[in-house]
Amino acid sequence: MFTNVKRSFRRRDQEVLALDDVSFEVGEKEFVAIVGPSGCGKTTLLRMAAGLDFPTSGSVRVGDREVSGPGPDRAVVFQQFALFPWKTVEENIAFGLRCRGIDADARSRIVASYVELMGLQGYERAYPQQLSGGMQQRVAIARSYALDPDVLLMDEPFGALDAQTRVVMQEELIKLCRVNPRTALFITHSVEEAVYLADRVVVLTRRPGRIREILDIASVRRREGWDTYERIEEVMDLESFVHLRTRIWRLLRERQEDAAPAGIAVKSA
Amino acid sequence: MHDPKGAAAPAASTGRLRRFRFALAAIVPLLVLWYVLTSVTHTISPGRFPSPNDVLQAARQISRGNGYAGGTLAAQVWQSSKLVLMGFAVAVGTGAPLGLLMGWSRRAEALLNPAFLLVRPIPPLAWIPLAILWFGLGDGAKIFVIWFAAFVPALINSYTGVRNIDPTLVAAARVHGASRLQLVTHVLIPGSMPMIFTGLRLSMQASWTTLVAAELVGAIFGLGHVLIVASLDIYPGMILYAMVWVGIMGALMTKALALLERRAIPWRG
Ligand SMILES: Nc1ncnc2c1ncn2[C@@H]1O[C@H](COP(=O)(O)OP(=O)(O)O)[C@@H](O)[C@H]1O
Ligand SMILES: [Mg+2]
Repeated sequence: MFTNVKRSFRRRDQEVLALDDVSFEVGEKEFVAIVGPSGCGKTTLLRMAAGLDFPTSGSVRVGDREVSGPGPDRAVVFQQFALFPWKTVEENIAFGLRCRGIDADARSRIVASYVELMGLQGYERAYPQQLSGGMQQRVAIARSYALDPDVLLMDEPFGALDAQTRVVMQEELIKLCRVNPRTALFITHSVEEAVYLADRVVVLTRRPGRIREILDIASVRRREGWDTYERIEEVMDLESFVHLRTRIWRLLRERQEDAAPAGIAVKSA
Repeated sequence: MHDPKGAAAPAASTGRLRRFRFALAAIVPLLVLWYVLTSVTHTISPGRFPSPNDVLQAARQISRGNGYAGGTLAAQVWQSSKLVLMGFAVAVGTGAPLGLLMGWSRRAEALLNPAFLLVRPIPPLAWIPLAILWFGLGDGAKIFVIWFAAFVPALINSYTGVRNIDPTLVAAARVHGASRLQLVTHVLIPGSMPMIFTGLRLSMQASWTTLVAAELVGAIFGLGHVLIVASLDIYPGMILYAMVWVGIMGALMTKALALLERRAIPWRG
């Protein structure tokens, strides 16, 4: 999907390199998580996949076409939900369908099915600001899923939620992905979240973002039978999970300590 | 939480009742004081400020027969209101769309902003002589001057409204398949609606201010004309009565706008 992608920004006559030589692929129906320190270019990477931003050099492809703008094959879930405050829950979920010219009957059928799937019954006519953060993000996920996209792009979708809601949403997302598997690119700065949800985890370095390592989680998940557990905390207690988590933490940490100036190290000690 | 109307309605109506009582408590003593100072103790001479009786007499005169200064109260109020509404409509009909356009398109902004910056510092009332020269003392001149006065707040606020729209919402609309037109109708217009209404309120105020001023300078009819004729006749009762009607009409139209705003922005409930 990404080949030798570089992206730099100009800021007051200064080139800032945000991403440097990033290449990786996401397989059909594979769930790939990207972790990295903040400012390393995760959002930029996702925006390029969505067609909202473009690489300075290198190429971003979806399927076998170069990304040239937003397209019906991809949908995005944003960290800040990005629901339209002036549309009701129903209207928000129906938005993409409406843009694609799907007729009202089919639209309301699809919306109703996602309202039910996401547990939003009774809130169809509510406005986003009347809902909790968790509910809002359900609406946003429904809005994206309703379009039946080949690729789902999610930028720290649970980052703005409190810890408990977050756990519930993670469990639900994994269920949703089991029922309705999609190719997914999922950005997070939570290592646990990445390991719990993803088939593979791409670890990025501090800015400029480069690929530190790509870890295969799916084979461990299958081997250790993570999917047989209902709850996230049970999986998180497994030795295999802890092992992976620690490894990713080390990868992220290594670079940080290399880069940290002495003054800060003394202060934190 | 889901249906706040049921619980909130009685509280709101008792709140309104209380506010009404406070308003009465503030106004009644003032009216009494007015009566006492002008008609009992004669502290204020009737030449400077009319007594309640003078105002009543003026009210009676202007309501009957040929009225005053060329027409009855109803005719004068209608004349002024009609011009305000027409000038306001022309100003908003041009200002708000231009503001939206300038907020949305950098090219439109670059094209229109210089002209706007040049015209804007000229006080609207300074256009009156030119307007009279062009359109005479009739309706055209007043509508023209109101246009200049009410155009600016309509434009600036709708411009700001577009500029303040969260760019993530625009991105969300695009990735869910919105066309350019759909972006305008589903995101830009509803997104700037609160600011557009702020602009409408300011435009309405500017329309009344300007109209009365324009009628003072050159008119053969209207509330401003009543004011200037009463001033030449040294008729304080009529001056005050006409002023009260300017206030009433301005307040009524502002109230109508507020009602319209509540219907147009239901999500802010
Ligand atoms: N539009 C932009 N203009 C200038 N710099 C940008 C822009 N977008 C992102 N950047 C810079 O690129 C880097 C990566 O940003 P981002 O992708 O948002 O990181 P992350 O999502 O990993 O926190 C940051 O240093 C940020 O300041
Ligand atoms: Mg980010």
